[in-house]
Amino acid sequence: MIEARGLGCGYDSRFALKDINFKAAENELLGIIGPNGSGKTTLIRAITKIIRPQCGRILLEGEDIDGMEFGELARKMAVVSQGCDTEFDIPVEDYLLLGRIPHRKAFQFLETERDMEIIQRAMDLTDTARFRKRSLNKLSGGERQLVFIARALAQEPRLLLLDEPTNHLDIAHQVKILDLIRRLNRENKITVLIILHDLNLAGEYCDRLMLMDIGGVHKIGRPEEVLTYQNIEQVYKTIVVVEKNPVSAKPYILLVSEEERARKQSKTERSGHKNK
Amino acid sequence: MRAVCLWSKEWINKVRDESRVKASMPLRQVLFLSVVFCLFGAPLYSQDYPRRIISLGPAVTEGLYLLGAEERMIANTVYCQTPQGREEKEKIGTVIRVSLERIVYLKSDLILATSLTDRAQLAALKDLKLNVVEIPTARNFQEVCLNFLELGRLIGKDDQAIKIIQQAKDEVDFIRGQTKGLAKPRVMVQIGAKPLFVATREYAVNDFVELSGGINITADLKRGIYSREEALKQNPDYIIITTMGLAGAAEKESWQRYTALDAVKNNRIYIIDSEKLCAPTPLSFVSTLREMVKTLHPDAE
Amino acid sequence: MSQKTFALLAWILVLGAILIVVVLVSLSLGSVNIPLGRIVEVIFQRKGSVEHSIIFDLRMSRILLGFAVGSSLGLSGVILQGMFRNPLVEPYTLGISGGAALGVCLNIVLGVSKIGGGLSLPLSGFLGALGVILMVYFLSARKTFRIQGLLLTGVMISFIASSLIMLIMAVSRVEELQGIIFWIMGSLEESNWFLIITMLLVSLAGLLVAYLFCFDLNALALGEEEARHLGINVERTKRMLFILASLLTGCSVSVAGIIGFVGLAIPYFIRLLTGIDYRFLLIGSFLAGGAFLILCDTLARTVISPLELPVGVITGIIGGSVFVYFLHTGPQQLFRKT
Repeated sequence: MIEARGLGCGYDSRFALKDINFKAAENELLGIIGPNGSGKTTLIRAITKIIRPQCGRILLEGEDIDGMEFGELARKMAVVSQGCDTEFDIPVEDYLLLGRIPHRKAFQFLETERDMEIIQRAMDLTDTARFRKRSLNKLSGGERQLVFIARALAQEPRLLLLDEPTNHLDIAHQVKILDLIRRLNRENKITVLIILHDLNLAGEYCDRLMLMDIGGVHKIGRPEEVLTYQNIEQVYKTIVVVEKNPVSAKPYILLVSEEERARKQSKTERSGHKNK
Repeated sequence: MRAVCLWSKEWINKVRDESRVKASMPLRQVLFLSVVFCLFGAPLYSQDYPRRIISLGPAVTEGLYLLGAEERMIANTVYCQTPQGREEKEKIGTVIRVSLERIVYLKSDLILATSLTDRAQLAALKDLKLNVVEIPTARNFQEVCLNFLELGRLIGKDDQAIKIIQQAKDEVDFIRGQTKGLAKPRVMVQIGAKPLFVATREYAVNDFVELSGGINITADLKRGIYSREEALKQNPDYIIITTMGLAGAAEKESWQRYTALDAVKNNRIYIIDSEKLCAPTPLSFVSTLREMVKTLHPDAE
Repeated sequence: MSQKTFALLAWILVLGAILIVVVLVSLSLGSVNIPLGRIVEVIFQRKGSVEHSIIFDLRMSRILLGFAVGSSLGLSGVILQGMFRNPLVEPYTLGISGGAALGVCLNIVLGVSKIGGGLSLPLSGFLGALGVILMVYFLSARKTFRIQGLLLTGVMISFIASSLIMLIMAVSRVEELQGIIFWIMGSLEESNWFLIITMLLVSLAGLLVAYLFCFDLNALALGEEEARHLGINVERTKRMLFILASLLTGCSVSVAGIIGFVGLAIPYFIRLLTGIDYRFLLIGSFLAGGAFLILCDTLARTVISPLELPVGVITGIIGGSVFVYFLHTGPQQLFRKT
């Protein structure tokens, strides 16, 4: 579905991404993880043509996106950005209708029946129909996030990109949103690229993970392959313990506090001595 | 009519030669105008003269009053003064902006504009096929008379106009004779403050100074912006300040600080009402000239 | 959605009705008051009563020009506010009025208008405005059309232009000075029908072109990046909108002088009434801007008749006071400041 070959991007002289190569297959739920500043958001911006790559190519369904117009891109993929505006005094319904802009015909000035149907479906999928007349700035964080996703859905995308959609939400909303995304991926056959900072959520929900580190791909593969304590320690420079989730058998990361890290340190030293 | 024209042509030449003031209008132009008067004078003789006149400036209004034609003036500007006891006329705006609607509504047969009338509005009035004549601002006595003559001709009061012009001319000649032998004081006339603005040859006040036997030290400047330093260097005998609203008195005070100036030493700084200096009619010109003579030659009679 | 269509049409009808009322009032009032009934008579009387039909002609030109200029300014204002996502931007912020005023100043002082005739003054104004537009455009047109750069450049150019104008005024003669000041104060009195018709066509064309970008403007409200995600070619849109708004403003200023406030306040009020959808805002600002200016002009020429106040004074006073009032007591702004 989407592929990057030798992608290199930067801001001015700084290179934020170096030689990225990855492929996401159709209907895949690919999670992008990595520490702050590893280039995750830059990657999304390169895919959405907000920034132009210095080298390499990005292919969407086999076609180089460089040749594609913004409108064409917007019909195929939708983005739910980080830090969307919260100040908007616009009713949810109208906000969702903005998502239909890419599908507007040349001299069409009014919404069609189909437009209304699509946004209705989007609202049903995200369970936001009850807010349709309410203003965006009157919703809670979690409700707003659902509305943002609904708007992305209104674009009828085949590829959905999300940049840390669960950052500021409580665990109930985190699960709700990721369940929704999972459902969209499975039932509605939408390919998803999602940036997550929570490694456990990433491990739980994604088909494959791409672990990024200082502008490059450290490891890409299934969660069990990527979420190993070696990888985590190499990239995040912090000691963790990796266990298996008793319910889903997916890996989950356990953090270790400073005290415990010190104790482990001395334990390994002692066992090292023993082996001698 | 022809006799009148020839007479006026002669007279104009006489005034020019005698006063030896550099004519701001070249002789050729004056002759041309006289010829034009004559050419158009003839047909006008048989015509009806305008009965509904609108004046767009105080100069014109005063002229009309002087010619005794005020009952034919149906409207003028808010700055036009009505003499004591006379009927107030309808006001159709200021000197620079008038109400086109009102003018059209009043159905006048002659509109007398001035140099200050807004050019676009003037054009609009002409476009509306109204009879508009512009009376330019007079810059010296000669032009005051010419304007007055033209005014008289337009409203059919030529004889009256000529009579008044002759009277004024005689008085001017008399005054000039009086001041001939006297010493010529050097005068600076200030007509603006911040920045300091003086009267050059194109201002009417220049004629007052020269006809009353004075020398306008700034007559030949291209533009009137002057520096105080230059004024100090030139050290005029007299400084005349026009009222400029309330600023005149303040300006006089500020000049008095320069005690090195002759004018200050001999207390020869005078303020003259700027309205008087506009002197739109030959007679008002004369009365202002008299005042100027008194100011510049306080010892003469 | 038929509801939205209905709302839009209703809105257009309401504003259109207000416009018609204002036009009728304006035709009727003046130095000479003609009762409304008489107006209908006069319209069908052709050249019957000469003075009334001429008054009709005089007033009609002011009304048409007032509509053309007012609607252009309202439209330009709402477009710029959408582009900059800033409700305090107005058509003159970009320095266009400074350029036009400078052009006119130079014309008057160099005496060009005496040779050029009636059209030379607006033409020089337009050239001055165009000069500024090109300067601002090329100064800001690097790889990305920087919005912040535009504002600052515009403000600076305004200052420079004002200083130059003051310099010219200082060395000019009284009659010239007068001409300059009166032009700057703004006036809808124009007898050249070519200019009036041209201005009307410009404003109508502006409206039609603006509508091609109504969705772009709606999307831009979410921010440039979001708009790009929705498939808007943001760079191209910004450039086109800038050119459109500048031309509308440039033409308005060339013909009518500097009439402030219309471009600032009208979009604000329309937004209060219709929300942030540009399909409503564009036509709303267009019609309301026109009606407002006609109304102000009517007041300007009747309040101290036969003297006339500069129309910019009325727009400033009325517009400004009402604006301030609503800012403090009315509902919160429906617009995001970046």
